Amino acid sequence: MVLRRAKRPNPEPSRVVIFRWDLDKTYLKSEFETLRELVRIPFEKPEDKIAVPGVVPLIRSLRQVATQAGRDVRVYFISASPPQIAKAIKEKLALDGIEYDGIVFKNQLQHLVRGQFRNLREQVGYKLTELLKSRANMPPDSTEVLFGDDWESDPIIYSLYADVLANRLAADELDNVLTTIGVAPKLITQAHELAAAAHHADVVTRIYINLERRTPPAHFRLLGTRLVPAFNYFQTAACLYQDQHLTLPAVAHVAEHLISTSGYTPERLANSLADIVRRGHLSHACAIAVREYLHARGLLQRRRVVGARLSAWQRFLRWLRAQPAPPPASPAAINYQTLVAEWRGTR
Amino acid sequence: MPTIAIDAMGGDFAPDEVVKGVAQVSLETDIQCTLVGDELRIQEILNATTYNPENISIQHAREFIDMADDPKAAIRAKRHASILVGARLVAEGDADALVTAGNTGAAVLACAQHFKPIHGVRRAALASVYPRQTEYPGQDELALLLDVGATIRCEAMELVQFGLMGGAYARRVSKVASPRVALLNMGTEETKGGDVLVQAHRQLKAVPDINFIGNIEGNDLAKGKADVIICEGLLGNVVLKMLEGLAELVVDLAGTAARENWRWKLGLMMLASGFGRLRDLTDYAAYGGAPFLGFEHLLIKSHGRSNARAIKNAVKVAAKAVRDGVTREIATAIERL
Repeated sequence: MVLRRAKRPNPEPSRVVIFRWDLDKTYLKSEFETLRELVRIPFEKPEDKIAVPGVVPLIRSLRQVATQAGRDVRVYFISASPPQIAKAIKEKLALDGIEYDGIVFKNQLQHLVRGQFRNLREQVGYKLTELLKSRANMPPDSTEVLFGDDWESDPIIYSLYADVLANRLAADELDNVLTTIGVAPKLITQAHELAAAAHHADVVTRIYINLERRTPPAHFRLLGTRLVPAFNYFQTAACLYQDQHLTLPAVAHVAEHLISTSGYTPERLANSLADIVRRGHLSHACAIAVREYLHARGLLQRRRVVGARLSAWQRFLRWLRAQPAPPPASPAAINYQTLVAEWRGTR
Repeated sequence: MPTIAIDAMGGDFAPDEVVKGVAQVSLETDIQCTLVGDELRIQEILNATTYNPENISIQHAREFIDMADDPKAAIRAKRHASILVGARLVAEGDADALVTAGNTGAAVLACAQHFKPIHGVRRAALASVYPRQTEYPGQDELALLLDVGATIRCEAMELVQFGLMGGAYARRVSKVASPRVALLNMGTEETKGGDVLVQAHRQLKAVPDINFIGNIEGNDLAKGKADVIICEGLLGNVVLKMLEGLAELVVDLAGTAARENWRWKLGLMMLASGFGRLRDLTDYAAYGGAPFLGFEHLLIKSHGRSNARAIKNAVKVAAKAVRDGVTREIATAIERL
């Protein structure tokens, strides 16, 4: 009975789905905390670059599942790295067997030559304008799922992008936010123009933030339930299953990969699953479905209520009381001024 | 990697400090931690802190025993209290050891209710560690005192068993090859202390597995002569509370002196680094907690005022004791007696 009721509650994705990925710390385990590590990056060979555990099977599965379901799927990468390292990155993606439809790099050399030193580190203006430019070439009815990390400004950039497209952010408010963040005036004007020209629709269904820095999840509370802070790609995969972008075998594939290549254990995966449920991003019904499927394949431990001898009726009541699935996106308006003030306080 | 159950609701600063301490463990080690307590409250605290969810699970317990509760009555009335659920987790094999900073009496009773005593052990003993002088480089700065409250009066054989249990713990956790065991008494002569202590002295001397160095007096406790000091619970508890009281008194006196006279203040400032070292040595947070010995499973009891650091270290001590097979070592020692 549980499995019958455990159908995924969220609506099916649209005919065309776009998955946008940040590169460093989201796809690649890039180390640039020290100057030495930063200097080493351009000289890294493709085979030296390491992908974040679980990301490769996840991206491959996203494409595979969408194709099987007859959906058009597109994968794009956006990076703040300079084009000088594009060759190594493209080769790395090829080595990992990742098919993609586009990749954007930040022309740091151009900023350096023009003396635009502020633009070297500034990511919000750069990424927002690149995302909006790319969106102009996408089918209007396509939906998007965005993937970033907690190192720089991905949560705020992606949220701004989603709200600009959904027409939830007035032009002057966008200007104010970008000015407060310190985006160059030229980029603000460009973002303004692109936003005005965009086809307005609520197309961003989810934003996944890889908590590479282990930022406390509460830091993202102002960004609503559309944004899912995830500690690993197993949590992300489970949520993508809920949104019908992945199937249970695909989630199992990610779990298997984490166990076989990254030292994960069934216990660690079980803890991750319980965590994402407790944080309200995954419904109990979906978690049960994932747990049962993975347990049958020996990939996950079944949790038991210690010491409690529950009757079938008590178990049924407990299941009925389980909280409903979170909504697919947050229509509630985000107060960006408060958000930016808080965000700057933590940087 | 061992799984440690932690009573999230026990302690003066619970659940906040307990959860934060476990969050630190989850980031620094691969120890699997099971937080036992109010699930919603625990997750709320985790959400606001840096943690690794892969190493943390939560076992909901809808009740908890307060520090001020009468242990016996509370254990009877609150069957779903976090300390009882935690003990049950360990007893049923879902965790390897239990850590609590909560009500000591309730913790002892919870263990007695759910843990099986090691075969041959007549009475379990609650241990405590305290700072002492070191006699040689590399010597552990902490000595083990047991029992500090699980019993009131003991028989001679029970004191002998305390010596074996304390010795096993010191061998495994403090890595002392042959821990020196002493009997706390009112004189060093073996005829002192009444029938029980005289008999215990005689029996301890005859046990080959114990490196018994004789009686030790109160004034020698801090001198580092012994690694394990055994005594009846009543005496141990008085000693422990007195040591804590003295430490607080010294700090209070120093503070008063500094306020009274600028020359004293200057003197104290010059001694600041020395005081710092003393503070580090007597800081309960550094050693985390002490074990409750005599059961097939281990309980690490942390100070009631434990902060996140103390909890973190208590969990590490518990994991170390599990990894190093302390209870197995005790069982072997008791079997050979």
